[in-house]
Amino acid sequence: MRPSPRPFPLLAAALLLAAGCGPSAPKEGAAPATAAAAGAAEMEADLKRTLATEPDFYVFKPIAELPAGLAWQDGAALPDFADPNARKGGTFNYYIPDFPRTLRTIGPDATGGIRPYLLDYVEPPFIAPHPNVAGGAYAGLVASWAVGPDGQTIFYRIDPRARWSDGRPLTTEDVVFTLYFMRSPHLNEPWYNDYYKKNYRQLIVYDRLTFATVHPERKPDLAVRFGNWVPYPRHAYADFGPGWIERFQWRETPKLGAYELKAKDIDKGRAVTLSRVKDWWAADKRFFRGRYNPDRYRLEVIRDPDKAVEAFARGDLDLMPLGLPKYWYETLPETHPEVVAGRILRYKFYNRTPRPDWGLWINRAKAPLDNRDVRVGIQHASNIALVCAQFFRGDAEQMQTRSDGYGWRMHPTITARPFDPVAARAAFARAGYTTQGEDGILRNAAGQRLSFTITAYGQAQRDLLPVLKQEALKAGLEFKLEILDTTTGWKKMQEKNHEIALAALSRSVELYPRYWEMYHGTNAYADAYTKDGQPSKAATGAEANPKPSQVVVQTNNMTMTFLPELDRLIEAYDRAETLDEIKRLAAAIEQLIHDDAAWVNGWQRPFLRGGAWRHVRWPEGFNVAQARDLEEFFVHWIDPDLQKETAEARRNGRQFPGGLRTFDQFKQQ
Amino acid sequence: MNLPRLRVDPLTHKKLQRFRSIQRGYVSFLILATAVVLSLAAELLVNSRALVVRHEGRWHFPTYGRIHTGKEFGLDYAYEVNYRELGRKFAADPSGRNWVLLPPVPYNPLENCHPGETFRPRPPDWARQNFLGTDQINRDILARLVYGFRNALAFAAAFIVLTYAVGISLGCLMGYFGGWFDLLVQRLIEIWSNIPFLFVVIIVASIVPAGIGMNLGVLLAIVVLFSWTGMTYYMRSATYREKARDYVHAAQVLGASTARILFRHILPNVLSTIVTFIPFTIASSISALTALDFLGFGLPPPTPSWGELLRQGTSNLQSPWIVASAFSALVLVLVLVTFIGEAIREAFDPRKFTLYQ
Repeated sequence: MRPSPRPFPLLAAALLLAAGCGPSAPKEGAAPATAAAAGAAEMEADLKRTLATEPDFYVFKPIAELPAGLAWQDGAALPDFADPNARKGGTFNYYIPDFPRTLRTIGPDATGGIRPYLLDYVEPPFIAPHPNVAGGAYAGLVASWAVGPDGQTIFYRIDPRARWSDGRPLTTEDVVFTLYFMRSPHLNEPWYNDYYKKNYRQLIVYDRLTFATVHPERKPDLAVRFGNWVPYPRHAYADFGPGWIERFQWRETPKLGAYELKAKDIDKGRAVTLSRVKDWWAADKRFFRGRYNPDRYRLEVIRDPDKAVEAFARGDLDLMPLGLPKYWYETLPETHPEVVAGRILRYKFYNRTPRPDWGLWINRAKAPLDNRDVRVGIQHASNIALVCAQFFRGDAEQMQTRSDGYGWRMHPTITARPFDPVAARAAFARAGYTTQGEDGILRNAAGQRLSFTITAYGQAQRDLLPVLKQEALKAGLEFKLEILDTTTGWKKMQEKNHEIALAALSRSVELYPRYWEMYHGTNAYADAYTKDGQPSKAATGAEANPKPSQVVVQTNNMTMTFLPELDRLIEAYDRAETLDEIKRLAAAIEQLIHDDAAWVNGWQRPFLRGGAWRHVRWPEGFNVAQARDLEEFFVHWIDPDLQKETAEARRNGRQFPGGLRTFDQFKQQ
Repeated sequence: MNLPRLRVDPLTHKKLQRFRSIQRGYVSFLILATAVVLSLAAELLVNSRALVVRHEGRWHFPTYGRIHTGKEFGLDYAYEVNYRELGRKFAADPSGRNWVLLPPVPYNPLENCHPGETFRPRPPDWARQNFLGTDQINRDILARLVYGFRNALAFAAAFIVLTYAVGISLGCLMGYFGGWFDLLVQRLIEIWSNIPFLFVVIIVASIVPAGIGMNLGVLLAIVVLFSWTGMTYYMRSATYREKARDYVHAAQVLGASTARILFRHILPNVLSTIVTFIPFTIASSISALTALDFLGFGLPPPTPSWGELLRQGTSNLQSPWIVASAFSALVLVLVLVTFIGEAIREAFDPRKFTLYQ
């Protein structure tokens, strides 16, 4: 949860960035050393130029001008979530699905399977959201922080202990560099450029350890929302500039987190091993105690998840998420010998985190999907309940609103339209599809068949979609299936060329959801509004779904929704300053989205589950509420005594108490 | 019209005799031919639609043609009737006026055989007529094998026609014209055939659907695009040889057009070369389709295909009946085809009585 949180499609992110990140940087010359040196001078010169040309953004003030009377906080009153008695040491064995294509954490190819271990899970942000207390935060890189009386400024006091893994202290020099870096056109990351330009209005540096950032809007969760970012070391990026992408492809850079990846620990194509930073500065800091426990974290490259599960069952890996029913019920069931013997323990943990919004995104711009009755019919004809009950074997449940999984329900009463062929046929009849053809598919008076193509990406849905297709026939609706590879499929959806898309955007852990990206009219049509801010001509007509002409591509408005009323609500929502206001507007937005019926509510799994060898230990209560996977907060550890005992037990057949361990303290009713 | 080349001349008759005398190949041929014929009538053998329904004094033959809704048989739904349920309902009626006759395998390859139950692979269950078990979304494996076989055959047939049409035409032209045309096309083919086939197919298959939509036709076009080259070499050399013969010169002197000379005079004389290749082309096209499906770049789901079954099987090794069925079927067909191919090659070998072995 860096400030990267564009809702990424689950799998698409890596490929998307690989494929679509603009022109690649110019190639380096034959003499890299010279070029780097030249680059170094250039970076500092360019940084100076930038500071000079943007004096309104980079502001330097004496420490005396730091406002007095700020309410400094450090989150110390919040409860611990790791176990301070966790044992340090050992080698933890796990896997990644692909060998890293770069060691950079930003730029093309940087969103691969390794990134969580180089950045997301490991590098502490300035201010970190507390994973068990919604809206709560604790001090990460800062010793304390404060929100200014204007409600738009965050003041940071960097923890004087904070050190890069090469021993250099973290200072505001790095902060200045990081914002320069994130806003630089050389970064080759338009999304980051845009995010740091739009959401960071000003940086005020007071001294080596004190600074402030100013943000465009007052927000109830300002500190977590915008204070949750990670700096980059200025001294290690001295040759940042054009061509940095190639130069930094395999370069070790200093880290602030507990783990670093050294070049000698990269076994090309096979595995990478993280090692714990010696005398890590935050080892004893509150909320970091008891985390990041194994000395070495070995990540073997196993491309096929089936094989990874086998490797786990054999004892090569210590931990394995078993989310898919196939793995949970067939590959590693209760009756598996290692499970029976209690040497592998199975865990089920109810988490509380925004769910990826799996569902069918109906493209309203494609006739006859612009007809609300057709969309309502499709909702009634999509048997998601069956998918949940019988495909996911009851592990998943249908989402009721677009935004399930936040701390509260975004709308108190809305429920998804249920599968009901009769209701679906009634809705289709209202849209004019009244006669059933010889193939069982409904037709309208013009003879058009009620047939739509569902576009999906990746292989995961290959087995699920035929189920929906068969069920839809009962409502006289034909689904044609088109399963593309991830990049192509995602591109098609982002270019709004699909009729119906089966897709999901992953969500970062936030206090409340975003709607603008998915539902604002300007993300559907470039000419949605005239220059004076009025809905364009077509929108003022009686038609419920105004359709201007210029489709905006590469946005997440994959339903092509343009409802001026909804846009007004979303704008008010984005400006809202109190949580009550946000809740009220969110409920109104969810109601409109429900009424418009352009998204068929998909499924969500309210828990994490997996298996671990019994020497992998967890804090009491297992994991944290907002964990999106088993390792995310690194609260687990290895018990060497148990490890020895388990290894012996595998030889002499000794058994231990086993069984399923369920943790439902964060279960939502 | 005189069609002398279509009559079985004594030489060909002799070749066919020789083919029949090669036991292994001939038996393989009979088995495969039976399988092909049966697969063409698959709807009568493996289908969720009944063969005959006797309802309220009326006969229905629903196998081919329009769907019959539940309402037509007094049920309360407007979609296609479930004939298995209908049969049970009729059977429960003691009067016996109404009855349903179902095919031996009463499932189609797309449907969930166990409605209301969890989707998971189920082992063979003769009582429920899942003779080879079900795949991971409860579809009957035998039904998917049978219809998959038919798809593979259709693919292979179209593949042969198209690759041979291109390969033979171009090969003959190369051999017949020779000179710079021959040189140029040869170089082009060398370049073209050096493109790794499977990779290109995967790349193209992932790009194509954005506009057109993947189907048998598109897939066929892609595979053919990269498969016609092999045939050209044989045809080129065969034509090259035949061109020098007197009957070609005679045809030329008589003023026959190039096309006539190629296709009416030369082609029938090099036909034996082509015939011996056909079985191996069938085998390779079935393998290609299966490989592509296995990798997920083949036919769109839920089309029944062997590659898709193999893929499911390998990712569900704890349900061995899936991979066993698909693998055995594939091996069986490829072995049969290869036996036939060997027999044809032997039968058509003009050097039957050569001294050199």
